[in-house]
Amino acid sequence: MSLIAYFQSLGVRFFRRARTDHELEQELGAHMQLHADRLERAGLNRAEAERRARIEFGSVERFKEECREQLGGNFLDTLIQDVRFSLRTLRKSPAFFLVAVITLALGIGATVAAFSVVNAVLLRPFGFSHSERLLWIYSKRPDNPRTNFSLPEYCDYRDQNSSFEGLAAIASFNPSLSDSGEPERVQGVRISANVFSILGLRPLIGRSLIAEDDKNGAEPVVLLSYGVWARRYAKNPDVIGRFINVNGESRRIVGVLPSSFALPNLDTEIVVPLQPESDPRRNARNSVNFLRMVGRLKPHITAQQAHAELDSIRQNLHRQYPDTYTGKIGLTIVPITEEIVANVRPVLLTIFCAAGAVLLIGCTNLAGISLSRAGARQRELALRTALGATRSRLARLLLVESAILAVIGGSLGLILEVSGKGALLRLMPADLPRIDSFAVDWKVFLFASAVTALATLACGLAPAWLLSRSDLRDAMVSSGRGSAGGGVQSRLRPVLVAGQIALALVLLANAGLLFRSFARLSSEQPGFDSSNVLTVRFSLPQVTYTDRAAIVQFYEKLQPRLAALPGIQNAALVSILPLAPKSISFIHFTRPDQPPFKPENTPSTNYRITTPDYFHAMGIPLLEGRHFTEEDNGDRLPVAIVSSVLAKNHFPDRSPIGQRVIIDDNDAQPRPVEIVGVVGPVKQANLETPAQPDMYLPLRQVHKDGVPFLRNSIYCVAKANPEAGGDAYNVSQLRAAMQNVDPGVAVGSVRPMTEVLAAALASRRFSLLLIGSFAGAALFLAAAGLYAVIAYGIQQRTREIGVRLALGATRGCILGMIFKEGALLLGAGVAAGLAIALLLARLVASQMYGISEYDPFSFVIVSLLLAMISLVACWIASRRTLNVDPVVALRCE
Amino acid sequence: MNNEAQLLPGTLDLLVLKAVSLGPLHGYGVLLRIQQISGEALFIEQGALYPALFRLVRQGLLKTEWDRSENNRRAKYYELTAKGRKRLREETDWWNRLSKAIGAVLSARPQES
Repeated sequence: MSLIAYFQSLGVRFFRRARTDHELEQELGAHMQLHADRLERAGLNRAEAERRARIEFGSVERFKEECREQLGGNFLDTLIQDVRFSLRTLRKSPAFFLVAVITLALGIGATVAAFSVVNAVLLRPFGFSHSERLLWIYSKRPDNPRTNFSLPEYCDYRDQNSSFEGLAAIASFNPSLSDSGEPERVQGVRISANVFSILGLRPLIGRSLIAEDDKNGAEPVVLLSYGVWARRYAKNPDVIGRFINVNGESRRIVGVLPSSFALPNLDTEIVVPLQPESDPRRNARNSVNFLRMVGRLKPHITAQQAHAELDSIRQNLHRQYPDTYTGKIGLTIVPITEEIVANVRPVLLTIFCAAGAVLLIGCTNLAGISLSRAGARQRELALRTALGATRSRLARLLLVESAILAVIGGSLGLILEVSGKGALLRLMPADLPRIDSFAVDWKVFLFASAVTALATLACGLAPAWLLSRSDLRDAMVSSGRGSAGGGVQSRLRPVLVAGQIALALVLLANAGLLFRSFARLSSEQPGFDSSNVLTVRFSLPQVTYTDRAAIVQFYEKLQPRLAALPGIQNAALVSILPLAPKSISFIHFTRPDQPPFKPENTPSTNYRITTPDYFHAMGIPLLEGRHFTEEDNGDRLPVAIVSSVLAKNHFPDRSPIGQRVIIDDNDAQPRPVEIVGVVGPVKQANLETPAQPDMYLPLRQVHKDGVPFLRNSIYCVAKANPEAGGDAYNVSQLRAAMQNVDPGVAVGSVRPMTEVLAAALASRRFSLLLIGSFAGAALFLAAAGLYAVIAYGIQQRTREIGVRLALGATRGCILGMIFKEGALLLGAGVAAGLAIALLLARLVASQMYGISEYDPFSFVIVSLLLAMISLVACWIASRRTLNVDPVVALRCE
Repeated sequence: MNNEAQLLPGTLDLLVLKAVSLGPLHGYGVLLRIQQISGEALFIEQGALYPALFRLVRQGLLKTEWDRSENNRRAKYYELTAKGRKRLREETDWWNRLSKAIGAVLSARPQES
């Protein structure tokens, strides 16, 4: 019977049952009437004829029931029978039930958890319509493929290109927000008003930016992020139309953005219009580069074509303004979705595969156990066949059993996942994009169901297959001798176990590599001493801090207050903290005594503005020369301190002390500074890349063009005295001191430097922790699988062992024999695992630090670990043989 | 009734297929035709015909249609499908081979062995 006909008849059974019954009734009725007609013609009266017809027909109800059965119904009834029977069987072996359910719950739970992260980060729609046609565009420089554009440049690209439906520009800034409540420093963006129509974004309430907002003299407006709206206004829809101070300027709130708003990322808290046309820098060709561009491709235009067109515009600009644009050697174009997730994709996929591998090992284990159980149950099953059960019915019984296990395990796994969501979220690194909207949605449920179904098949198919191949007569006859299970199953199980060992080794190798990388990385010296260092990020109101004098004055008031705090040893201000997220600020510089570089080769350096105590507070050693002093002020010659990296790279011939460099840190023209000190190297951007050149300038000498940047974001770092007060006390003291100097100061996050350091390792810690625990689970499951197969083998061969012992074999011989078997499995598994792990190593290369992805040490260590654990499992299993009494063994069946 | 032979298991389907192959019939008609062509020699329990008919329909060997009977009663008519025709040929061959073989065995005489 074809499958379709089968399901059709099922459908008949279930959905047209009443109608079918009616038809059946009619058909059988017609039969009896026809028979009665015939009998009547033969001379009987009608009543007698009908009576005879009914009698001769036989039991109507019985035949009806038989007909219904023929319709293929019964499926539900027999299924219920199977479920009942399986539950009874499982109740009789609670140990198997527990092991199976826990294994499946953990395996399915881990896989589903990994999937829900992958779903949230990689699969969920990005909230932009046709996001594949949205591109980020950066200016490419020799030392950095992703730098910003100036305003006039943006306008040229916007007006001259024909590849994009629209080109928008975005600049990040860190304004302070204030209304009636406490001022707050937020992450903001200034965006050209066309961005909303280009990206197809809608506000949650109110309106988005419109072309008028970008016009000269338009009313100042602002859009709030969902976070700010919830935090400051308790999601009150009446905020539309209210006013709020952004950097001291009153702006009308016109809209609230959805929580998915991610331009340039999810941290954005407010949006104000860029107003490119009225900006004073509109036509200043050499003005600061602060914009990145985002555009939507026209239909039928490829990213390559757009790239080529923009590049020809760039070359024209280059010819027109050779001085200004020489360093801009090209463009970097990145799809918007790639920009968000490209970095985390390999990590997440690794984790996902690892979870899947654990589930697979778990299922293999259960399949192994089910195989032995099927072997042991072969006699029972043979009996059922003899009594008329079909093989498909028996196979279904076995599948129903594993389905029950998988469904219970899967539900537990899902419960684990839902209830453990909070813990999982805490584990996850904060910089994982899009993870905020991590949720157990229908896709996760669908995935969990699919995984459960697969697990059912994986666990149940092997025994069912075995059953379909076994000769039942043999089973009936041989079951008395306890070698039930036959050749197939004793050949299949070792293969399964070797496969498990191989998979476990792959996971272990990955975990080993990650661990070694992590250990290398966390032992790297960042160049500063993070212990007892507190950091506070804050910003100063725009209206009152318009020039250097105001900021210096703030510092002069703050410094004595901080110095007076009992718990604080040193305190200082710095423009950007090492390892702080998105903390990249660099300038170009030249040595006046050397021939000028080609513009694209001009050296660059990280650029920090500090106060004298910064190096003390952070424990950055002074190697040569002197620290800044309070006398390095605007009246004196500008000075700088450089890191030893800069000294080594750019002054290989002499000591940099007393040398001058020309730095390009303002819109007007490069200016000279004198190097007065050399300090140790600091890893500013991340722990992975080696320390780059650093240059520090004193706060009292900051250029006026630097004031807005400094005002928008400064860090106060304070070395605390561990004996006095403790962090919480010191933090409140720090905050109070700042608010004391100026209540308008917007104090942002307070973080110990150790936390900043830990955050730099967070994503690695996350994947190490996950992969590590998956590998541990895999190791345990594989060892358990090996144990089971050895123990089962011994049990099957008790009689043989008894004979051997009786014939004079020593127990050592027997043990050796068993170990040889285990070692063979182990060897095959390890060899296969190593081969797979080496093949896959290239995929994890991007996550390595300080070691090669083929690091022999890691591979050897994990192989040894696996071998050791497996041999222990072997040994425990084989201990049984030591207790075998030959007499008992011979009699045991 | 004692002259009537009980059917061998599995042969009812074959008989039904054969009966229907001669033209569409309702259930009672099938019964009558089998009795008629077997010369009343085969006994079929009337009701037992229906599970067989349903089984053959499910296997796609027969198709059904409601129609009026010769004495104007509404009845379900069974008709052979192409698949059913093929099956009938196969089963007939099988039956002929089997009965020939069994017949040969049973007609063996002592002097020939």
